[in-house]
Amino acid sequence: MNEYEAKKFLARYGISVPRGFVAREEADIERMDLRYPLVAKVLSEEILHKSDVGGVILNVGSPEEARDAFNRINGIFGTPVLFEEMLRGNVEVIVGVTKDPSFGHAIMFGLGGIYTEIYRDVTFRVIPITRGDAEHMLQDIKGRKILEGYRGKKVNREALIDLLLKVSAIVEENPEIEGMDLNPVLLSEEDAVVLDAKIVFS
Amino acid sequence: MFDRLINPGSIAVIGASHNPQKIGYVVLKNLVSHGYRGEVYPVNPKGGEILGYKVYANVEDIPPVDLSVITLPAELTVKVFEDVAKKSKFIIPIAGGFGETGKEGKEREKKILEIAKKYNARIIGPNTVGIYIPSTGVNTALVVPERSRFPGDGDIAFITQSGALGLLTMDSVAMYNVGFSAFINLGNRIDVNENELLEFFGSDERSKVVIMYIESFRDGREFMRIAREVTRKKPIVVLKAGRTKRGGRAASLHTGALGGSDAVADGAFKQCGVIRAYDEVELVDYARALAYGKPIHGDRVAVVTSAGGVGVVTTDYIESQERGIGMKMAELSEETKRRIKEEVVPFASVENPVDMTAQASDEDYDGVLEALNSDPNVDAILVYALFQTPLISERLVDIITRWHREGDKPIVVGTIGSEFAMRMLARFEENKVPAYPSIERAVKALRVLRDRGEILRRLGE
Repeated sequence: MNEYEAKKFLARYGISVPRGFVAREEADIERMDLRYPLVAKVLSEEILHKSDVGGVILNVGSPEEARDAFNRINGIFGTPVLFEEMLRGNVEVIVGVTKDPSFGHAIMFGLGGIYTEIYRDVTFRVIPITRGDAEHMLQDIKGRKILEGYRGKKVNREALIDLLLKVSAIVEENPEIEGMDLNPVLLSEEDAVVLDAKIVFS
Repeated sequence: MFDRLINPGSIAVIGASHNPQKIGYVVLKNLVSHGYRGEVYPVNPKGGEILGYKVYANVEDIPPVDLSVITLPAELTVKVFEDVAKKSKFIIPIAGGFGETGKEGKEREKKILEIAKKYNARIIGPNTVGIYIPSTGVNTALVVPERSRFPGDGDIAFITQSGALGLLTMDSVAMYNVGFSAFINLGNRIDVNENELLEFFGSDERSKVVIMYIESFRDGREFMRIAREVTRKKPIVVLKAGRTKRGGRAASLHTGALGGSDAVADGAFKQCGVIRAYDEVELVDYARALAYGKPIHGDRVAVVTSAGGVGVVTTDYIESQERGIGMKMAELSEETKRRIKEEVVPFASVENPVDMTAQASDEDYDGVLEALNSDPNVDAILVYALFQTPLISERLVDIITRWHREGDKPIVVGTIGSEFAMRMLARFEENKVPAYPSIERAVKALRVLRDRGEILRRLGE
């Protein structure tokens, strides 16, 4: 399942994802009905760290720039290109799913970027989770203050709790899911939007 | 379900021996010295008599028993197993040489498990030190009696995957009179597992708290289901060790790499109301706090001390998030301050910590505890019983015990010092007052009681 398919899958369960469009050839861009600026991404299941290998172009401002972006990414990787509307937000978090040998499916939540990668400031719960579990998860990380409107950067905690509950429900309904990375999830005052998604099925 | 294991009416010792170096002798000796009152049937082809018990030549010759302890090597254990299973409700094969050694050992386990199922017998182990039940005198563990001590009867049920760690843990607290309701070593856990035992001790009235040392869960989801039920009635403390390797395709994801089994277990414990310990000292410290103490609802702590420095270090530990427990020092009410100043100790500092200085007497402690007990701004009391000053006597143990029993506020005690202080610690233990020999350990006990309060609010309906 590539990123676009994964997001379609999540959207079916009411999870917010950016509006997107897949261009397989340059001519497709004419039919693209998205609001600029856009982000262009290599669309491939094989490439895990897209931005590290030059597979992501930000701030695509016009149809001309979109064509350029398509040709650059398609030229390097030979894959289709995913265009998405760029969104503004205040905090990036990670939500994930893993399958533990003794406890089975578990959901993870943490602050994105270095908080996850360097400080490993994440917390897990076994699926299914209750609303109380989800609320407890937000309290459980060391950087919890960041979710409380630190320096005026407000986030919608309810939207985040709702996302955690939906991910838990998705896994219950689809036990063949082996793992999931929703990373990053962009939190704003209004919403929690999944900007990148990987889902692994067994 | 496990009543006949904990309180067996009769025990057979298969492989009983005259040789005091052998486990087949030690088990019999244990039964004698721990006052086991049921029937005992030693079995050994040579017959005769050991420690006054008649020895039976064959398993066929003994009547049905509640418990059989097999003290033979693995190969012989397999050989006699069918005869033993016919006669027994529970079987403890002590020997190693089973699944832990490889393929051949695995085969042996398969064989004895099949036989046990056929005759409806249950196996604890194999490769186990077995069980120790102080109240009934059942003890199958092999240790050198001159160099270690078994604890007496008490409130703590202890389920452990490691026999040696379990015995060492009990030995290390036996000198403070810490007691246990039961000790069970799962060994290779081919049959009886931690979940069944947790459920059993969950409804065992003699056990006030269940503690576990676990390296891997037999069935994590089942554990959570049972723990969620048990924790409403009594606290559970788990020392979880060991991490399993992660593999498979999901390891390519961030979540897979971050979710070592330990991180998931940690979350699972929070969901099902299990308190976590990180070493054997915490395991028993927390068990004692939870078995004897009251859950703390709130986070405002009053500290009573006769040593100023102890109060300052305690304050740091209570309030610090980083190297502490993130609770608060209570703001004492004006009424409390007035009472302490006017009625009890005019020389004391009536801020919190209440520092009564080296002039403090037993009566002063009594008065201060009385005042704090009626202060609505106080959720818990940490009182230091420091016996090194002249006006403090052993009576302080009784005074604090009375407030622990009759007062409304949860109380934790700190007692610092050498032999005398340790003797007082043992007296607090006999009175079932949670008391600790260092500042840090006393403060951590507060945190555990607060966590317990939170668990009860969250999961206790």
